[in-house]
Amino acid sequence: MYSAIFNTFFKRNAAFVGTVFAGTFVFQAYFDAAVTKWYENRNKGKLWKDVKLQLQAGDDEDEDDE
Amino acid sequence: MLSRSFVRGLRANMGLASQARTLSSTTAALKSTYDSPDFSHYLNKSKGTNDKSRVYTYFMVGSYGLVSAAAAKSTVEAFLTTMSASADVLAMAKVEVKLNAIPEGKNVVVKWQGKPVFIRHRTQAEIAEANEVDISSLRDPQKDSDRVKNPEWLIMLGICTHLGCVPIGESGDFGGWFCPCHGSHYDISGRIRKGPAPLNLEIPEYEFSDESTLVVG
Repeated sequence: MYSAIFNTFFKRNAAFVGTVFAGTFVFQAYFDAAVTKWYENRNKGKLWKDVKLQLQAGDDEDEDDE
Repeated sequence: MLSRSFVRGLRANMGLASQARTLSSTTAALKSTYDSPDFSHYLNKSKGTNDKSRVYTYFMVGSYGLVSAAAAKSTVEAFLTTMSASADVLAMAKVEVKLNAIPEGKNVVVKWQGKPVFIRHRTQAEIAEANEVDISSLRDPQKDSDRVKNPEWLIMLGICTHLGCVPIGESGDFGGWFCPCHGSHYDISGRIRKGPAPLNLEIPEYEFSDESTLVVG
């Protein structure tokens, strides 16, 4: 099994570098998604999309922002 | 005399010597005489092959390269995105006009990217007049159908193609636009008919996003 992995990915430099570069694109997409998810979870209630909903709800009930 | 032959002989000798050096193998001279000990007794025989450790090593090196490549990619992207148009610029790049506020036979001038845009709601008579013109007699031959998407609406940049003045609507000898600066007359399709201007009034990019909304840009 290890020799299969070695022969597929690491034996040829082109395969090794190619895997690294292709993996970069995949990694970046997931990394970005993960960081965004963590950030939005951590700042829940403070983000504009949450505040916007609050403001819309507040507008219907009472308009006390003068 | 003597010295010359001596030099020649020396040169020949040196040539021979260098020839001999390229031919001879130096590996024998450089080869170590050190007898390396036999470590096979100490090697771990239970592992069989060393593929597992090689895979681990290369995987670690590869992961490091992957993360570095991703970092370099995001750095380059961060610089490139500063070149793209910002949201306020994009918002200014288009202008939206409600067409049902413009009655038939009226001109409206809107500002788009700092330039005037003429919008004319043409009557059927005007459309017919624009189509009647003999194309071959024009300075900048262009069919009316090539200048409009919907013949009822003529949309064009209000900049005279001569020296960039803004022509006056519903005037001139051809019932279209007249540039007061040097007397260029444009017809009801915005084509140059008389005066110094070389080209027809320019048509900007536009589209009808729905029946009564025009988006210029």
